[in-house]
Amino acid sequence: MVSQTLSVGQNPSLKENKPILIVDNVSKRFGSFYALQNIFLTVPEKSIVLLIGPNGSGKTTLINCISGVYKPDGGKILFNEKDITKMQIHDIVRIGLVRSFQVPAPFKKLTVAENLLVCGQNNPGENFLRSLNRRRWRVFERELVERMFKVLRTVGLEDKADTLAGELSGGQLKLLELGRLLMMNPKMMLLDEPIGGVNPVLANKILSHIIDIRNEFGASFMIVEHRLDIVMKYVDYVYVLSKGNLIASGSPTEIVEKKELYDVYLA
Amino acid sequence: MIPLPILLTALVYSFILSLLAMGFTLQYITLSVPNLAYATIAFASTYLTLTFSLMGLTPYVTMPFAFILGGAISFMLYKFVSFLRDRGTSIVGLMMATIVFDLIIYAGMNIYADYLATVFKIYAGSFSLSEFDFKIFSFPAVLFVSGITSISLVVFFTLMLVKTKFGVAMRAVMENYNLASVHGINTERILSTAWFFVGGLAGLSGSLYPIWFAMDPWVGARMFISIFAACVVGGLRSIYGSLLGGFIIAFSEVVVTYLFSIYFPWVWAYRSVTSMVIAAIALVEMPSGIAGLIQKFRGGR
Amino acid sequence: MIDLIIDIIAFFCIYAIITLSLNFQQGYTGIFNLGLYFPIIVGAIITAYLPGRLAMIIYGIDSKLDFSANNAVVVSILRSKLSSDPIMSIMLLVLTMAIVALTCYVLGFLSAYPALKLPADYLALFMLCASESLRVIGMQTDWLAGGVMGITIVNPFWWLGGFSYYGMPVFTILATLFIILLYQRMCDSPLGRLLKSIRENELTAESVGKDVNKIKRTTLAFSFTMLGLAGVLHAFMMGAVVVGGYTRVDFSFWPWLMMIIGGTGNNIGVFLGTFGLVLMRRIMIVGKHYFWFLPFNVVWFEPILLAIMLMVTLIFRPEGILPEKSPRIKDYMRKVLKLES
Ligand SMILES: Nc1ncnc2c1ncn2[C@@H]1O[C@H](COP(=O)(O)OP(=O)(O)O)[C@@H](O)[C@H]1O
Ligand SMILES: [Mg+2]
Repeated sequence: MVSQTLSVGQNPSLKENKPILIVDNVSKRFGSFYALQNIFLTVPEKSIVLLIGPNGSGKTTLINCISGVYKPDGGKILFNEKDITKMQIHDIVRIGLVRSFQVPAPFKKLTVAENLLVCGQNNPGENFLRSLNRRRWRVFERELVERMFKVLRTVGLEDKADTLAGELSGGQLKLLELGRLLMMNPKMMLLDEPIGGVNPVLANKILSHIIDIRNEFGASFMIVEHRLDIVMKYVDYVYVLSKGNLIASGSPTEIVEKKELYDVYLA
Repeated sequence: MIPLPILLTALVYSFILSLLAMGFTLQYITLSVPNLAYATIAFASTYLTLTFSLMGLTPYVTMPFAFILGGAISFMLYKFVSFLRDRGTSIVGLMMATIVFDLIIYAGMNIYADYLATVFKIYAGSFSLSEFDFKIFSFPAVLFVSGITSISLVVFFTLMLVKTKFGVAMRAVMENYNLASVHGINTERILSTAWFFVGGLAGLSGSLYPIWFAMDPWVGARMFISIFAACVVGGLRSIYGSLLGGFIIAFSEVVVTYLFSIYFPWVWAYRSVTSMVIAAIALVEMPSGIAGLIQKFRGGR
Repeated sequence: MIDLIIDIIAFFCIYAIITLSLNFQQGYTGIFNLGLYFPIIVGAIITAYLPGRLAMIIYGIDSKLDFSANNAVVVSILRSKLSSDPIMSIMLLVLTMAIVALTCYVLGFLSAYPALKLPADYLALFMLCASESLRVIGMQTDWLAGGVMGITIVNPFWWLGGFSYYGMPVFTILATLFIILLYQRMCDSPLGRLLKSIRENELTAESVGKDVNKIKRTTLAFSFTMLGLAGVLHAFMMGAVVVGGYTRVDFSFWPWLMMIIGGTGNNIGVFLGTFGLVLMRRIMIVGKHYFWFLPFNVVWFEPILLAIMLMVTLIFRPEGILPEKSPRIKDYMRKVLKLES
């Protein structure tokens, strides 16, 4: 029912893809204040969906609900046809849905390299018993290190491998957030303002890399971002939130044409 | 069914314990650092009580001195902890700072006990002062003194919180430390005064303890369990909850254990374990304590 | 002199196990636990209760005698039996260690259920109070570990004859080396990194797919096991168990100071801190009479010294002598992964 309203902008063939994420009538309250009210939205497989809305409209809250940080007060969330509404955060990650934080949340006293390495999934060296025998995890760890260097190059932090995450600048922390997700080979990423504070050149590089990942691995994305000038040309579909309600959706061109949305944004 | 001495013990104990639990909670709320030296500070003054009694004075002379002693130590502890906090020390470091005080007071008490032993030729490692107490209507005076002290302090404290400028400022600080200092409230002065007051209150109630109960330098460590249990049962961050928690823990330690000991005499020795068991159950079954229950009840209507 | 050196090394070993376990919990995983001595007391109590009674059953000693009530008599009988029975002696030692390890593992796992529901500071208090309660139980229960008076236990190395009092220290040293190796292996592996990530930010750790509660439970269970073993080793080495002696000062606050002074989160620093302070304390105890100038019993000087050192460290060097250090990625690849780049 919801997927019927989809019209994917830049990559028309994506429209037919079955949805990987379905947010079905989700509400979230804090006390008596509704941060989200009856939200319906879907993300088709291999698509890049943009979520916009003024500050305080509930974008981060929605990401928190999907990723399991908050439990919604009503509604259902399906990922890959699986009901994840009541699942724990780490279990949701394990089935391939990962998220980044708007306010970067790194492991401050670990180096950038360690921050990324710890994101490896099913690392045998993280098991209490198997960690004792290096032979049981060395091969895995070598591959992980290789991938980490690749990710470092992608996000442009290759000269920061040995820097403590706590010593990075705001923009670099954003890149680390993204790098962490890339390490996990997920099916879908929820990115909360991934290029905030990143210079336009690097921001464009990162976004085109996201396109590459989508094309290469078939990952899907939901991106929250304010810098529409940069991000619009990369996304397939846009949802607009205001005061906890979904007020519009459409392809980037459709959204740009809707003049009334500018009022919402300026308000 | 329950013999009078047991009931009286429970009463005196609950007056002292609930006051201590309230003070502990208050210090915790104001600085968000559990004060591990708290019980030891409270019982440091017992050696003053002992000294005055040995000098032939009534143990109640101690009360003002105990207030000042407890308040002064607590004040210094506050200064030390807030100094460290301003330098960005973690919560772990801050709790270690309270342990520093715990150790020094503990050693000080023992050294003083050694000193008393040489001066008065007594064994000061463990003592009880009930023989120095007098009677009112054939009841031990400490019953009335502890009761009146406890009740009047709580009333005084409540009035202060509600009626005085200082109280209003203090509530603001407790609600939100940063916001209060932004609004120009002198948080430093409010908190150091509060810690002095609370420490004094602890010293005061501690000084009454040996007039009824047997005392030794380890009482602080043991009583800490009961204080913690009272705060947990009361609901970690609720001042009046901890007051109630103090009564519940005191009565379960004394009366409930007594009832059990009628059938299982060996239970009596494990009084302080009782409170730990209650605390553990409370943590699992109702983590927000009595305060949480009351809130739920109110919210439900 | 040789006795003193062995004494110091053996005590150092016990404390090294304790501080490394503490560092595993606090320095690595960020579990704030002031009640380290809970599993130590469990280890000591089981050591006081089990091997003596087991030996009585095995040797069919007069059932009218009770290990606790007739302690001196029973121990001297057992001594004559065990002196000529090395196999049984070692079996008792190993069996006690195994049972304690199992018990403490389960206890650590169980204690996590209430403990991990709490904010960090209350977790510390909860553990402290639980340990203090266990100490009270141990002191009040005569049949368990001799109550306030304590109890004499068997020595698994009586069969060494003239060297019987060196057996346990040497065994302790070997066992400790093994435990240190375990900890070092774990901390240098991806597990160490994982634990530190949990310490740094639990929500982020969850968001990269780590089951934080499960890992914390296992951390508690594992370090409980090691602490329990420290309790067994300590008890056997002392030849007696006095539960009242397992105080929060000696078995929690001192280890905390050792860890903080050495460098929280750095095993080598913690190791050095432990060595320095154990050395200092043993020398102070052995050299009591050099402290004649103090106007009071020197035992009370210890907590004051502990307090002062703690205070100085907190003010001037909160990160310790050897602060935590992350490996450089090239070093890690070369040394651990054996990769040449
Ligand atoms: N944990 C919380 N408790 C109470 N209110 C919250 C909480 N998280 C978010 N909110 C409120 O929900 C609304 C939406 O916030 P958020 O999702 O962060 O907005 P956005 O990300 O769109 O800027 C805001 O009004 C915010 O104050
Ligand atoms: Mg947001």
